[in-house]
Amino acid sequence: MKKTKIKIDYSKCGNATGGIDPRNCSICLRVCDPAVFLRHMNLKAEELNPKDPQSWQVTAVWLDLCTHCGKCVASCPEKAITIL
Amino acid sequence: MCQWCMKHGAGGKWYLNARNYSNELAEELNLKAYLEEQWQNFETVYIRKIMGFSSIGLGYKLKMPIIGRVLRWKAEDMIHSESKNRVPLRADGHFGQVIPLEEAKLIMMNLAAEPIIQNYCMCRMMQRGVKDVCCINFGCLSGVIEKLPRFIPENTKVRLGREEAVKALDEQNKKGRVATVWFQPVPYVNAICSCEVPQCGGLRLRTDFGLGAVYKAEYVADSDPDLCQGCKACISQCQFGAIKYSSTLKRTIVDQNKCFGCGLCRDACNFDALKLIPREGVPGIAKMY
Repeated sequence: MKKTKIKIDYSKCGNATGGIDPRNCSICLRVCDPAVFLRHMNLKAEELNPKDPQSWQVTAVWLDLCTHCGKCVASCPEKAITIL
Repeated sequence: MCQWCMKHGAGGKWYLNARNYSNELAEELNLKAYLEEQWQNFETVYIRKIMGFSSIGLGYKLKMPIIGRVLRWKAEDMIHSESKNRVPLRADGHFGQVIPLEEAKLIMMNLAAEPIIQNYCMCRMMQRGVKDVCCINFGCLSGVIEKLPRFIPENTKVRLGREEAVKALDEQNKKGRVATVWFQPVPYVNAICSCEVPQCGGLRLRTDFGLGAVYKAEYVADSDPDLCQGCKACISQCQFGAIKYSSTLKRTIVDQNKCFGCGLCRDACNFDALKLIPREGVPGIAKMY
């Protein structure tokens, strides 16, 4: 079977370019029954600083558990999620 | 008793050995600095690359021929690491075991090192975006977490007395959550969590990927066919799909191969039909932790 990929557009999800702060949203985390998503600090940040809103982002981690139900895509207020 | 009881149990279960809770042990292993680094970066544990592999799409990676087997071996090695070169960023040596409520209370009353704190569950925060005060940490870890504002509950007490902690455990049990006790890192014990599948990081690795991040309890549920009235109250409590109702027998049946021995079904039973029996006493599953 084809491997699932979930793309998140960080120009829409995340504080970097005026999008939303994943810590205030996290809707995708809650609508997903198998809990595929993870909210974490961005490793690319030079220094991990939990107080910096730009350092937080959402990644789809447990991809093999995704059933392509589409709830995350439909419920994302920024339309930032694509399931491939 | 599992291999960790043999190693760190001093003749009993590992989580009932007082030495594993002692400040002396924490100092000997220099755990304050280790736990500080681990907890500051805990949410990134699944996205960090280890030998070029992160946990993203872990299920696919573990299924790869040969590489998958090497990855599984390496992951198990990390989870149970007692080496001097443990890496806090990967939470090396951090694993736990399911325990029934009475043993969680026993630990809280007699073994847990002061100070005892309650804080937001890290797993629920990172995998559900939900702030839920339910983890109880103690000993050297309390001071570490108290310095990290994102884990500190608002509008509620942080430090708990022993009776308060036991009450908190009772409330979590009523919500249908599985009590677990954690090495962090092995052999130091400093947390009792109230977990729920699938958003518990440890139970996720165990139930979805078969990794030994959480061991099954020393007990297993056993149903008494004469007492069960088939009310099905236990079924909704089981997070592991181990109980089902048999319309043929007009009672519930327990799949002891799936049972983690948490005792939630027993606590919910209206007719005392379910009890926990020692895993060692059931030959077919005796060593299956």
